[in-house]
Amino acid sequence: MRLRVIATAAVALVLGVVAATASASPQRAAAGKLTVWLQVDAQSGWPDIVAAANQQFQKDHPGVNVDVQYQNWGDHLQKFDATLAGGNGPDVIEMGNTEMTKYMAAGAFADLTPQKGTFDNSANWLSGLAKSGTYGGHVYGVPYYAGSRVVTYRKDVFAKAGIKALPSSLAQFIVDNKKLAVSNRSTKGFSPVYIAGTDWYFAMSFVYDYGGAIARTHAGKWYGALDSPQALAGLNAYKRFWMSASKASKTSDEAHPAPYDIYSQGGAGAIIGPGWYSCCVGNKYKATTAQFVMPSHTPNKPMPGFLGGSDLAVPVTSSQKALAADWIKDFTDTSSEKALQAKGNIPNATNLLGTSVNERAAARSWFVPAAKHWVDVENGNILRNMLAQILTGKLTVRQAAASASDNITSVLNGA
Amino acid sequence: MAVAAETTTKWSRRRRLTFGRVWRAAVPYLLVLPVIALMTAILGYPIYSLGRLSLEHYTLFELIRHHGQYIGLHNFGLVLHDQVFWHTLFRTIVFTVANVGLTIVLGTLVALLLIRVSTWVQIILTSCLVLVWAMPQVVAVQVWYWMTNFQNGVVNYILTELHIGNFFQHDWYATTFSQLALVTALIVWAGIPFIAISVYAALTQVPSDLVEAAEIDGARAWRVFFDVTLPIIKPVLLIVTSLSILWDFGVFTQPYLLIGQAHIHPGNYLMGIYLFEEGYLKADYGRGAAISILMLVIVAAMSVVYVRRMIKIGAEG
Repeated sequence: MRLRVIATAAVALVLGVVAATASASPQRAAAGKLTVWLQVDAQSGWPDIVAAANQQFQKDHPGVNVDVQYQNWGDHLQKFDATLAGGNGPDVIEMGNTEMTKYMAAGAFADLTPQKGTFDNSANWLSGLAKSGTYGGHVYGVPYYAGSRVVTYRKDVFAKAGIKALPSSLAQFIVDNKKLAVSNRSTKGFSPVYIAGTDWYFAMSFVYDYGGAIARTHAGKWYGALDSPQALAGLNAYKRFWMSASKASKTSDEAHPAPYDIYSQGGAGAIIGPGWYSCCVGNKYKATTAQFVMPSHTPNKPMPGFLGGSDLAVPVTSSQKALAADWIKDFTDTSSEKALQAKGNIPNATNLLGTSVNERAAARSWFVPAAKHWVDVENGNILRNMLAQILTGKLTVRQAAASASDNITSVLNGA
Repeated sequence: MAVAAETTTKWSRRRRLTFGRVWRAAVPYLLVLPVIALMTAILGYPIYSLGRLSLEHYTLFELIRHHGQYIGLHNFGLVLHDQVFWHTLFRTIVFTVANVGLTIVLGTLVALLLIRVSTWVQIILTSCLVLVWAMPQVVAVQVWYWMTNFQNGVVNYILTELHIGNFFQHDWYATTFSQLALVTALIVWAGIPFIAISVYAALTQVPSDLVEAAEIDGARAWRVFFDVTLPIIKPVLLIVTSLSILWDFGVFTQPYLLIGQAHIHPGNYLMGIYLFEEGYLKADYGRGAAISILMLVIVAAMSVVYVRRMIKIGAEG
């Protein structure tokens, strides 16, 4: 009996020691390793640029390994929150420009203001991106890259439909959509322009094109503005355009399935999205693929596009903030940015800007309301839900917009 | 002298006896001590933390500083005054009733089938059930998502080929009802094996002479089932029903992944998702804790009926 008790005690002791060392080991392993969280876009689009930056960093800091962990837009913030609570988080994190404000306001990132001058081209950072990484006059996010949205299309399909010139207005585009639909009747489920029903980035471009906005601020309070006459005109135009263009599910989002997958399987004449969509149009259509800027309802003007983008930040929980800033420096230096530009992105500084279709599209752009709680509007799918209601006819444009506006007002003014 | 010696022996014997008795009495407690310590660590402490968190204002700001602000029952007040909470609760109760009901009825039917078929069919059926049971939830969701896919899902293809209707590019995720119906189908499908195998085990305990006697007396099949079989398998049915209620009421993985984050909104929340959206996505952890405590209370209240009946059956047995 006594032997058994002693054995139990011994096992308990061993377990205790194991538990104690297990909790201590990750910190020890962290030394000599820099953890970087990038989005999968980098993994699929430009792994070579990441590798080059790592190589440069390791040359300057021998013995420090860079562990790049790729994340998904859908859940990276929850994972990040967990590391803020429990530790073992990244030393560098890529944040969407619409996600920054909430975290900067909560004090989640290290202040990079003193180092700002050491980042390449920091005097000429794109103002839209630089603003998304600045809070209370302090720099917390280094602009990584921007992306405007363009139309990626198949020249052969457009030519076959008898479209001689690219559409220069929304009305012309709708006429062309009809031609595309007719000439591709034999392909079941063919979309002249494949657009996911709840692609709010594209839908809101119509709202801004007609002079509307998602929300406006007045006397320190936010108000949803989708029920304004201009916004309603935009939403109606979106519905008209979508109906003429897309055979996508009215409730689908732009990630499931990826529009370029539909395109590469011959299911669409065109797709709308970031410029880098050209990466994945499939070998079969690579040669016949080109891009143009989405036209406005006002002829010969571009439609304002969503200026998406990413910032790189150093979480306050990082124990290697200086090393982290050095890695960001390597990853956003002129050569990296030029390589990103070659992949169809917009580089982070005005002095690097070229004349590509992507960069021309950025000439007219819109950005989400700079409200602390904006990310809750995105995560709460208020806009997606509204678009699904509009396209499925569950609610009229006016009803859906009014309800979404009320929701936006209450979320943006949340405590 | 002799008396003194005798006294000493008596004393030492008694002391030895006492020590031995204490030791013997203590050993069982010492042996269960690790279990109690472990349970306290893995159950007690988290519940204590949850309770404390539910009384604090704890958002991203507090998370970074690892320090919440005590606000009493304010979080509970916010949740109970939230219309979304009550709508979600109602939806989840309907959803739970549908899911548990379907799982139990279909599972029992499969079990009744199992007991009637030949050994070979039994082996094949049981293997299929175990395969379904063994499939990880996330994998199952992915398979269902593919099958019901809008662009090229096999369900739309088969329904169209069978001329049941034109299901070409039918959107199975268009309405809340069809979204939750798909989730129900997935949960019931995955839940049947456990119910079928448990009920099958219970059915093997039904004495065949009782069934035969009832049949000789002219009872029909359904009468035999309700009057002979059901009372015997009732304890097992009660256990699997209360377990199913616990699982289905708090279900998260299947609806969250199958409906997809981009399609979740207050109009199709289930309780598990409501908790996740309010607590994690909005990073209001105090409120999330309050919601999970409320869920715990509701589930406990729902199970109390079953637990009491089980105890009663146990006492009768």
